Amino acid sequence: MTTRTQAARPSAVTADRLRASAAALQRRASRLKIVLGAVLTGIVVVPILLANVLPLPDPLEQDLSQRRLPPFTDGHLFGTDQLGRDLLSRVLHGGQVSLTIGVLAVVVSGVVGVIAGAAAGYYGRWVDSVVSRLLEAQMSVPLLLLLLLVVALFGPSITVITLVIAFAQWPEPARLTRAMVLVEREKPYVASARVLGLRHAAVLLRHVVPNIINQVVVVMLLLLAQAVLLESALSFLGAGVERPHPTWGRIIADGQGYITTSWWLVTLTGLVIVLLVVGVNLLGDGLRDRVGRSRPAKGESQ
Amino acid sequence: MARYLALRVAQSLLTVFLIVSTVFVLVRLAPGDPAAAIGGPTATTADLQAIRDELGLVGSIPSQYWHFVTGLLQGDVGLSYSFREPALDVVLERLPYTITLAGAATVLTALIAIPLGIFTARRANSSWDVGANIGTIAGQSMPEFWTGIMLLTLLAVVVPVFPASGFTSWSGLVLPAVTIALLQIALISRLVHREMASNLAAPYMTVARSRGVAERALTWRYAFSNSSIAVVTALGTRFAAMLNGVVVVEVVFAWPGIGSLVVRALETRDYPLIQATVLVTSLLAIGVQLLVDLLYPLFDPRVRVGKAVSR
Repeated sequence: MTTRTQAARPSAVTADRLRASAAALQRRASRLKIVLGAVLTGIVVVPILLANVLPLPDPLEQDLSQRRLPPFTDGHLFGTDQLGRDLLSRVLHGGQVSLTIGVLAVVVSGVVGVIAGAAAGYYGRWVDSVVSRLLEAQMSVPLLLLLLLVVALFGPSITVITLVIAFAQWPEPARLTRAMVLVEREKPYVASARVLGLRHAAVLLRHVVPNIINQVVVVMLLLLAQAVLLESALSFLGAGVERPHPTWGRIIADGQGYITTSWWLVTLTGLVIVLLVVGVNLLGDGLRDRVGRSRPAKGESQ
Repeated sequence: MARYLALRVAQSLLTVFLIVSTVFVLVRLAPGDPAAAIGGPTATTADLQAIRDELGLVGSIPSQYWHFVTGLLQGDVGLSYSFREPALDVVLERLPYTITLAGAATVLTALIAIPLGIFTARRANSSWDVGANIGTIAGQSMPEFWTGIMLLTLLAVVVPVFPASGFTSWSGLVLPAVTIALLQIALISRLVHREMASNLAAPYMTVARSRGVAERALTWRYAFSNSSIAVVTALGTRFAAMLNGVVVVEVVFAWPGIGSLVVRALETRDYPLIQATVLVTSLLAIGVQLLVDLLYPLFDPRVRVGKAVSR
């Protein structure tokens, strides 16, 4: 749109130059990322959501006469595993576990992170000290071993694994929210709201948080990708949701021993994870570029 | 200097205290009796009592905590059940291997990520840059254990260039280090890119250029010098997260470090051993970060340790 109005006006800046400008290039790159990301995410997520409806064998049904069939044999698109179970079905059902845990974990860590970060940024003083010290402490230690200890102690249920991942992720939204609230609270509308008699909590929840939530939500998409990776790493290490539920990490861990004779067990499962995570990451990255850029203009119009 | 040092050490100690307390609370919050889980169904009451004794699960909570902390200060986190020797010793024996791997991965990351970030920053928004951007996103999206198995299969089994597992020779270090570095390169090169791009666009660059400073010097002596502190900070703060990757990759490559140890400890429910690994790796990460903070002045003479850093 801008391109046309600019070109119609007599100007030394030609349409070609505008198209080659940094802003236009960036915009095109972000559009490419969003489209590519949405397509890749869709390719993986839609079959996972439809896994119970699709005409697939049961993911737990063993058939020892059909062990380790290569892909595309006897109606097994991804082949079968060491116990004769259909790999595609197992991967899709494993995806349901991963996505359930990932989405729940991101929601929990997002709510906790936004509340903690907003409180730290808005109230400052001791609230900020406590939250900031906690954030620093958590980010400076390798959490994976602690998470493994928790799963070992409390048992590998979906709830425990979700909470463990949420715990690992809350610093990200908390830091982002805190940083944005620090800027936001100095703006005149906050003082105006106070003058109009709103209490601090109301100003924070009704005015400050709605102004920043867009950017936090986009970052949460990137966290979903990390949650999926973390869940698969936990289950690879033996701290995944218990059997017989198939999980991505365990399919790969079990398939590792057969890699030389049955390459598809590890390779195809891993490729599905990569497709999903790349898709979500691209989508999140592209959207973040957009939200980040449109922000100043939006702030002025408000 | 002394004041800053004291503050940073105090902060690190606070983190250690938080971790230690978290581990203490977790073990006591866990449902069921850990002693019963360890002893198994055949354990007698006397066995269970002995295990509780060993775990420090007897007496009031404050006195348990006191014993836990004083034990730690003496380097005692209990006996490992599977090894029948002090858990801390078992972990410390494996530590050099983990440090070697983490160190190699860090060096590799720095050697590749920094030039890559500079290269793409100088060609911001070109197709090179977009390509590198998508490449780094892909690099962040691969589970390390999967990349490891793939590299292992391709370069140790199909085309046997490197040894398949363990630490038999120095060439065994290559594949695990590359696996860990892939993710780090993706993250660090983006950071180098951002820092370099903002420095390359700074007004002082225009001034220097107008005074005839060569492009090469502009990039390295001006922009990169000013970016280096952020890069070093990131390498330091990412060290903890990288250790997570090291744990996973060690399992894939049967590397004799802490990671493969902890998986075995999980299988045998060896709680003291898991506690020891949590403590040792946390201390390692905190130590590295402290060291990086103290190295700042080497990279940026404007930072006088002890004065406020605007960053």
